Amino acid sequence: MPSLMEIYQMLPKTNCKKCGKATCMAFAVDLLARKINIDECTPLKEEKYRTAYEKLKEMITPVGALTETGFLVHEDKCIGCGNCVVACPVNVVADPEGTASGRAPSNDKVIIVIKDGIVRPVNIQECRRFGPNKTLCYACIDTCPTKAIEFV
Amino acid sequence: MGFGQFLTEPEFKFIIVTHRDIFQNISQEISRFGNEYAERSSVITLDKDDMKKMGLKAGDTVVAKNTSARVVLKVESSVYEKPHPGIAFMINGPWANALVPADTGGTGVPRFKKIEVTLSRSKTEKVTPLNDLI
Amino acid sequence: MYKGPFVCTGCALLCDDIAAEIQDNRIIRVDTACRKGVSRIKGCSSPMSCMVNGKAVDIDTAIKEAAMILKSSKHPLIFGHGNCTLETQKKTIELARKIYAHIDDTSSFCQGPLIEAILNEKLPTCTLEEVRHKADVVIFWGADPSNSHPRHLSMYSYFPRGKERQRGWEEDRTAITIDIRKSDTAALCGDKFYEIPINGDSEFINALFSALSNKVPKTSFNMDPKKILELANILKKSDFGVIFAGLGMVYSLDSLEPLLRLINKLNETSKFYLIPMVGQYNMRGFDHTLFKETGYINRVYFGREKIEHGPQHSIIELINNNVVDAALIIGSDPLASLPGEIAKKLANVPLITIDPCNNLTSQRSKVTISSALSGVECAGTAIRMDGVEVTLKQIIETDRFSDEQIIKQIMGKI
Ligand code: SF4
Repeated sequence: MPSLMEIYQMLPKTNCKKCGKATCMAFAVDLLARKINIDECTPLKEEKYRTAYEKLKEMITPVGALTETGFLVHEDKCIGCGNCVVACPVNVVADPEGTASGRAPSNDKVIIVIKDGIVRPVNIQECRRFGPNKTLCYACIDTCPTKAIEFV
Repeated sequence: MGFGQFLTEPEFKFIIVTHRDIFQNISQEISRFGNEYAERSSVITLDKDDMKKMGLKAGDTVVAKNTSARVVLKVESSVYEKPHPGIAFMINGPWANALVPADTGGTGVPRFKKIEVTLSRSKTEKVTPLNDLI
Repeated sequence: MYKGPFVCTGCALLCDDIAAEIQDNRIIRVDTACRKGVSRIKGCSSPMSCMVNGKAVDIDTAIKEAAMILKSSKHPLIFGHGNCTLETQKKTIELARKIYAHIDDTSSFCQGPLIEAILNEKLPTCTLEEVRHKADVVIFWGADPSNSHPRHLSMYSYFPRGKERQRGWEEDRTAITIDIRKSDTAALCGDKFYEIPINGDSEFINALFSALSNKVPKTSFNMDPKKILELANILKKSDFGVIFAGLGMVYSLDSLEPLLRLINKLNETSKFYLIPMVGQYNMRGFDHTLFKETGYINRVYFGREKIEHGPQHSIIELINNNVVDAALIIGSDPLASLPGEIAKKLANVPLITIDPCNNLTSQRSKVTISSALSGVECAGTAIRMDGVEVTLKQIIETDRFSDEQIIKQIMGKI
C-alpha cells in the first residue's frame, strides 16, 4: 500500500488549487482515501508529469481493495463467525438494522461481509484506518477468535 | 537395529480432556472419511514440559492405553499459556471416544471429557486408522 | 440466481438469514453463514446411496428390507433424530410405538438433564432474541461457541446492538467464560475468564454462592477470592443475565442441584436465565416432541403393556446390556460419537441408517437409505437451542425422499 508521502512526492507540489484542494498534500490525503480521482489534478496530465501520473494510476487502483488499507484476511484461519462484521463501527453506522443487529447485511454500504464462510472487504476504503481522520481501530482484530485479521 | 527397541517405553499417567474444534467440524461436514478429519481427530496435545519429560517432539506418535482401548495418536505441543501437566487435550471424535470407558455406573452417561489413560512413546507405530477403531 | 433468506442447519443456532447463489440446481455460493454452515449447506463429498448388505439397490428394496428387519426384531432401537425435522421426529416416535421399540437420542448423553429441567420449569430460560436485545451479562460455562456455534456471539450473545443494548459490547455487555482451559471464546472474554480444574464446577458454584451471600469464597484450587467476589458483584448488578451451559458443565455436575441453587440465588437480586448449548440442529426438537407425547425427553421404551423410562433404556445401557437386536439410526452417527466399546457392540447389531451422507454408522449398516438433506433439499420445522420453533426452507430440488417420507413408507410395510 502506498504511503501518503510516496503519493505526495509524485504530485506537482505547486499548491495550484486547480483540484479544489488547498494544498497538494490535502489532495494526496484524499487520493489515498479514494475520495478524489487522480484526474482532478489537471496539471498531472502535462507531459512532464506523465511518468508520475502513470505510476499514481497504478498505485491508486480501485481493485485489490484488500491491500489499500492493508486489510488482510488469513483465509485458513477465518471461520466466518461474523464477529468482526457485527463489531465494525463503520458497519454499525452503515447498517443498524442488519449487521449491527447481528444479522445479514441489509444494504451495500457495509465494508466487510461474510461470503462463502470467509470475511471479505467490500467498501474497505471507508475503514476507519483510512482517510484523513484515520484512527487506529481494532474492532475487527480484537473480536476475532482465531486471529485471522491483520493490517499490513 | 538399536538396543532401545527391546526396552519397553515408560508409561505416564494422563487425563485426556476433549473439546470441539471448528475446523475438524468443517472437515466432518465434508466427509467423515477425509484425511483432514482423521488428522485433526487423532492429535493429542500435551504440555511442553510433559513432552520434554517423555522425550517427545511435535509430530511423534504415542500409544494411549487404558482398559477400553489402545490407540496410536500424533503428538502436538500445547499453545495454552498456562502449563497443564498431566492433562492432555483431544478434539472429540472416534479416536478419543475409543478410549472412553463403556461403564457408566448405570447412569447412561459416559465420561467423555475426562478420560484416564497411560501414554508411552512409540517409535515405529503409525496413527491408528479410522477403520481399526470400530 | 441469488436467493434467500434460508435457514442453516449446521448447528442448533439455526441462523435464518442465509443467502445462496444457485446455478443449475447447485448451490455455488453461501453468504452470511459461518464456514461450518457453508459446508453443511453445500453438502458433503460422500453422499450415501441405498444399499442392502453392501450391494446397491433401489430405494424400494432398501425400504422393504428395513421394514423386514424391524418387523422381525424383538427389541429394536430407534436412535438419532438430532439432524431431523420435527415432522420426521413425530413419525419416528409413531414408528417406535408401533413396533414396541426403544427410542433415544444424543441428549441421553449430553444436554438432556438441562432440557428436562427447562421443560419441567425448574430452570428459567429465555429466547436468543431477548439475549440480543436485553442481556448485559452472558456467561459461557463449559462452552466454547467460537468452535461449536460460530455465530453465537455475533448474532445474539455479545456483539450485536440490541434494543436495550445500543452501545455495543464494549460498554453494554460483559461476557464471561468459566472453563477448564482458555478456549477461543475465553480469549475473547479477556480478564473475565475463570479457569477451574476438571470437575471443579460444583465447587466453583459453591464459592460463587458464598460470594453472592457476602461471604469469603474459598476453593481447594485457590482461586483468588477477590476475583470471585468481583464476579459475584457483576452478576448481582446485572439487569438481564444468561448462562449458556455447555457440555463441560453438564458432564462435570453429578446432579443439577448446585446449578439450580445458584440460579435461584442469582434471581434474588437480578434476572438470570439459562440456555443449553445444544449441538445438533434439532436435538432439542426431539426432546420436546417426545416430552409432549410421553412426559419424557429421551430413554423411552414403548413396551407392549406400558411405556417405560430410565437410564436402563438409554442407548448406552441398552447396548452395554445386549438388549437391542436391531437398530434404526436416523440423522446421527453414533458409531462416531459413542464410546469405542459401545460403538463396536452396536456395529454387530443389524443396523439401518437413514442419512444424506455416508458416515461411520452407514458404513457398518446392513441397510442404508439415502435421504434429502433437511433445510437444503427439503423443508420442515425445527426447534432452536432456546426452544423457539424455526421453519426450514428448501433451497434446491432433489429426487431423494425426505426422512419423513422414508419412515412413512417403512411404517406402511410393517
Ligand atoms: S452458527 Fe450454526 S446455524 Fe449459524 S451459520 Fe454457523 S453452523 Fe449455521
